[in-house]
Amino acid sequence: MAAFIVRMGPLLVLWQSVFLSGTSAVDRGNFKTCDQSAFCKRQRALKPGQSPYRALLETLELTNTKLTLQLINDNNKVRLLLELYRLQGNMTRVKINELKPLKPRFEVPDVLINDPPTEPLSLLSQDENGVVLSLGADSQWLIVSAKPFRLDIMEGREVLLSLNSRGLLAFEHLRIRKDTQVDPEGAEKKEESDAANEPAEGETANEDGMWEETFKSHTDNKPNGPSSISLDFSLPGVEHVYGIPEHADSLKLKTTDGGDPYRLFNLDVFQYELFNPMALYGAIPVMLSHNAQRTIGIFWLNAAETWVDISSNTAGKTVFGQMLDYVQGSSETPQTDVRWISESGIIDVFIMLGPTPTDVFSQYASLTGTQAFPPLSALAYHQCRWNYNDQEDVAAVDQGFDEHDIPYDFIWLDIEHTDGKRYFTWDPHKFPQPKDMLQGLIDKRRKMVTIVDPHIKVDSSYKIHNEIRSKGFYVKNKDGGDYEGWCWPGNSGYPDFTNPEMRAWWASMFAYDQYEGSMENMYTWNDMNEPSVFNGPEVTMHKDALHGNWENRDLHNLYGLYVQMATAEGLIERSGGVERPFVLTRAFFAGSQRYGAVWTGDNTAEWDHLKISIPMCLSLGLVGVSFCGADVGGFFKSPSTELLVRWYQTGAYQPFFRAHAHLDTPRREPWLFGPENTALIREAVRQRYALLPYWYQLFYHAHYSGQPVMRPLWVEYPQDTATFSMDDQFLLGRDLLVHPVTEEGGRGVTAYLPGKGEVWFDVHTFQKHNGAQNLYIPVTISSIPVFQRGGSIIPRKARVRRSSSCMEHDPYTLFVALSPKRFAQGELYIDDGHTINFDKQKQFIHRRLSFANNALSSRNLAPGSQFITPSWIEKIVILGASKPSKATLKTPDGKENLLEFEFDASMSVLTLRKPGVNAGVDWTVVLQ
Amino acid sequence: MFPNCSLGHCHIIIAVVLWSICVDSRKIRGISLSYKRFYRERKSFLCIDGSKMIPFDQVNDDYCDCVDGSDEPGTAACPNGRFYCTNLGYRSHYIPSSRVNDGICDCCDASDEYRSQTPCQNTCRNLGQRERAEVEGQMRVLGEGLRLKQQLIEEGVLTWREKQAQLRDLQRVSDDLQTQLDDLRKEEARRKEEADALREREIGARETADNSPTSHYRPESPISVFKELDSNRDGSITVDEVQAKLSPVQDEEHALSEDEAVALLGGVHRVDLSRFEETLWTSLRTGDNVTIKGRHGVPGSLADEDPNIKAAVSAAEKAAADLKRVEDAYETVYMEIRDLREKLSIDYGSEREFLFLHNQCFQLKVHEYIYELCPFSQVTQKSASGEVVSLGKWGSWAGSPENQYCQMRYESGEPCWQGPTRNTMVMLICGTETALRSVKEPSKCQYVMELQTPVSCQPALRQRGIHSEL
Repeated sequence: MAAFIVRMGPLLVLWQSVFLSGTSAVDRGNFKTCDQSAFCKRQRALKPGQSPYRALLETLELTNTKLTLQLINDNNKVRLLLELYRLQGNMTRVKINELKPLKPRFEVPDVLINDPPTEPLSLLSQDENGVVLSLGADSQWLIVSAKPFRLDIMEGREVLLSLNSRGLLAFEHLRIRKDTQVDPEGAEKKEESDAANEPAEGETANEDGMWEETFKSHTDNKPNGPSSISLDFSLPGVEHVYGIPEHADSLKLKTTDGGDPYRLFNLDVFQYELFNPMALYGAIPVMLSHNAQRTIGIFWLNAAETWVDISSNTAGKTVFGQMLDYVQGSSETPQTDVRWISESGIIDVFIMLGPTPTDVFSQYASLTGTQAFPPLSALAYHQCRWNYNDQEDVAAVDQGFDEHDIPYDFIWLDIEHTDGKRYFTWDPHKFPQPKDMLQGLIDKRRKMVTIVDPHIKVDSSYKIHNEIRSKGFYVKNKDGGDYEGWCWPGNSGYPDFTNPEMRAWWASMFAYDQYEGSMENMYTWNDMNEPSVFNGPEVTMHKDALHGNWENRDLHNLYGLYVQMATAEGLIERSGGVERPFVLTRAFFAGSQRYGAVWTGDNTAEWDHLKISIPMCLSLGLVGVSFCGADVGGFFKSPSTELLVRWYQTGAYQPFFRAHAHLDTPRREPWLFGPENTALIREAVRQRYALLPYWYQLFYHAHYSGQPVMRPLWVEYPQDTATFSMDDQFLLGRDLLVHPVTEEGGRGVTAYLPGKGEVWFDVHTFQKHNGAQNLYIPVTISSIPVFQRGGSIIPRKARVRRSSSCMEHDPYTLFVALSPKRFAQGELYIDDGHTINFDKQKQFIHRRLSFANNALSSRNLAPGSQFITPSWIEKIVILGASKPSKATLKTPDGKENLLEFEFDASMSVLTLRKPGVNAGVDWTVVLQ
Repeated sequence: MFPNCSLGHCHIIIAVVLWSICVDSRKIRGISLSYKRFYRERKSFLCIDGSKMIPFDQVNDDYCDCVDGSDEPGTAACPNGRFYCTNLGYRSHYIPSSRVNDGICDCCDASDEYRSQTPCQNTCRNLGQRERAEVEGQMRVLGEGLRLKQQLIEEGVLTWREKQAQLRDLQRVSDDLQTQLDDLRKEEARRKEEADALREREIGARETADNSPTSHYRPESPISVFKELDSNRDGSITVDEVQAKLSPVQDEEHALSEDEAVALLGGVHRVDLSRFEETLWTSLRTGDNVTIKGRHGVPGSLADEDPNIKAAVSAAEKAAADLKRVEDAYETVYMEIRDLREKLSIDYGSEREFLFLHNQCFQLKVHEYIYELCPFSQVTQKSASGEVVSLGKWGSWAGSPENQYCQMRYESGEPCWQGPTRNTMVMLICGTETALRSVKEPSKCQYVMELQTPVSCQPALRQRGIHSEL
């Protein structure tokens, strides 16, 4: 859904004309630069140098769980409290708050899944310069230097990470505003020495927007005055950093010298531009650094507006310069320096020490949880449009898919389905009988999603509004009244989702008897939850709006997470705690992965937007959010047929696969572009459906262990520097490499197949290619270059049907791609596809499939589990095989059956005919 | 979005099914009678495309052996296979193999769900009955429609002839008028010349007789008066000039007020010659209100004095009026011919069956909007507030190559925000009366209407139609 556009009535015309002038791209003037954000400007004015902070070693206390130590700013004598924790799983937590703040500072709740379990720190040595602590295994130390204060994490003699090594620790302590009217001039005469570190100390005057700030026509009142924080991190030996979504930028983060820092502030950005550090809809303050030796994660747990500066000592150098350094052996070590700046709250940083990418994912998952395991059908294809007009339209589109034999699982209804943008209601003319419509979909084993946004129409005849108002659940403005802003319905209130009582009430609204017309095959889409406020500063909520005692300033980036959390809880509750929810959100924060899917918002039907969908989803995957997708076809504007086809082909291999289109664009259901293009789109969607068993298994793993579904190559090939900056191809799990065609008129792509000594098989032709090479692949409009890793086994379902539910009991085809050593391994995961019984009652099948010594076998990976499936093994395709004389299937009952087989000598493909064995039991096929 | 005009729902083929013979082929699930010959029980089965020979017991064994899917007509094993719904009592048809045992009842005889949990009922009998009833209804509609269509075609022929005759008549009238015009133009010119000549002569005579500039009898043309009043010679007469030079008839001493002067100039402050002739000159000639200071009598009233001149002038005026009248008539006829030609140049169908829609409009109210289609002219949408928006002007026929007359395109309506102009597709469907049946807006500003009319009934349908032996 767009930021906002037409049909808002004359009152909006004024800002429409402001916002929409030059409608082709984002109006940057609506959004702040660092210079326009007072705290960012103040903080950024500080340059690296000697830190004024000193550790008071005499205050050091070491308990079983943590070390505490006071820091003092020698300029203003304000004391901070440092807490250091060694966390289980090779993590270190660094917390810094004021020792005695005037009032409590905000600490982010509900993001960590528990109080992270600690491990004892032991003091190795201490002198007047500092202390050395052991971080346990691998000879890792944490060195606390006293003057100036800094922290260094070492492994052996190598520094892995330093904090405050550039002296950019800055903590604007809370203070009382002295009356500026008495002597506004006098304020400036105050000791100037302060400026050395603490950003402009003006306790009296409103210097640098400390006590008030105006952007465009909006004034931000700051009753608490300045409260920003900053800390720098240095990463020796690091040239590549990733993460901190959401930005429409390359996977490898760029240095920000000379430009704006990357901004994390959830905003509804109308027609966003690519390749810049502007904030978008969601924010996950997690950065990963990577080099051939080690991966490290930095999780900056702060939900206020945040800016991240990145600089690098090699960034400015030419390739020749770097080579010269190398040859002369004179180069300084490459180093990346990062600096985080937030507007309020405290410093609470988790340093995830890896050392492998997999370790970092596990570490982050242990803090914030893992990807929600979606219903299987949510991994299938979604058909969306703003808007499907009425019940007849829904029925006609549904019928269109059957007529053209294209599978789909979900049809979506955008805001126009409601009665005047009152969520939880239906337009009485267009959707008079929603249950009939939903039943029609149930009959086809399909599902629906309706949109429920968090802005509530202020209308005394609207039940939802009345209840929220009477319960006092709305966010309040600075004067204590209900906060109101403009959004789709006109004047709207914003429920305070940070309030657990509000969330519980919201969840209860999804009960079948509350949400009239809803049924069990209807799921939910939360849009506009940054929140979007059309007439608010930067199209969002005023920072001085109040959520209970806290300002929106403190927790802005959390709002969207809470909306999705409460909605997902509602879907669970309405099913009596049995069904898995499916909720799509546009805004998100660290931890949002636990509640459902995200998409990259209102993109545009342009080739560059297709391309950027890859790094945008990869970045999200690195920081926990695996269920990511971009609007297929592009939201704004109308794609060329070629672009649409290519987008389907790319989207079919990305986690969340949904076509969507703006209200003003011509219809683009897959069959509207002639039979050839219909066939191309059908084929792309069918490939998705055939691969659903593998997708499902990947999501099970993401849920179970926090490993991303869609991965950059370097995650699996961490030492292969050639993979570190790739934006145009990716892995699904470990075993599939996808290099979609994203160039207009593309005649060929050059895919990089990683892994020295490995082989890859083209999944369409079964052609074998060697690893560690750039492979040029000629392509046609039907090509989707995908490769299966030699050494893997991938389950598919070859019988693609109308919807994924229709395929539930279908048999499996196993694709065994042999490594050069004639080995392969894979898994098969099966459960009921939609309930939480897999978790609560261990009702699932999880099998290890392995090929070794000319035998393929299936063994139970989860002995405690129990599930019965009618599915069986239909076919086994072994790639890179040699011709056997016979193939024997052995089942646990001791029976042996000879299997028929075919062997294609030209491609070395062996196809075993109909083993017929149940997918849930042990079996072995021996080739002789 | 727009279906091809195969007359969707009316397209009915009901096969005759004789299901008594060939008991053995019952084993082969999912094939039609005509394919039975490929599935004779033997030791082996040859894929229908000839690509492969397999043991016969691998037919319908739930594993796809043939590339063409022919070994699994009764299971879902082959991705490109198809399953034959016999549907005794209703229409037989094929469904994709992927719909066999998928938990959704596709064949009305329930034969596709022989191994699924979903209990499917055999509904063929009911469907057949319902369809027969529907078809009968449609046949009645079609019969009636075709009869009406014939009438409309005949009426159309008459109308067409009428229009042609009308056009010929008009053409003749136009020719006559043309001839008259030629004569009248000459006549008018002659009369004018005569009158002018007389006047010139008279002026010459009087100038000789009386050279006084204030002569009552001085013949004056509008130009000369204009020049006289235009003291500053800037080619226009202003309020100041009027006030300076003119006075009320009754009281020459009294000056004209500015308002009076403006009124004399037709409500403006400044006039050129042509506006002068329409305004002040007329007032001066009547001589009722104002006069030129120091002058008596009415300027340009020379003709009043001399009966000959008066007669000549009035003859010239009459000739001019006659000419004007005929010119107007000619103009009217010319426009009528142009309109009629335009109308006749539109393609009204192979038998001009759509001619009768011309000059008709059809309305339909959908929620708060009233839609109006005026065929071959335009489509509009009127909102409750009375605002009328153009959804397109007549563009062209837009049907399929086989039947281009089943769809009309109206284009270039009012532009949309950030988008193209509104346009409307009108789908024509067979019915006994002509009426607008539905209006939709599948994409923003792209409308689709259904217009039902007898002239869209196709006899082909009937021939293809129904054998009602079911």
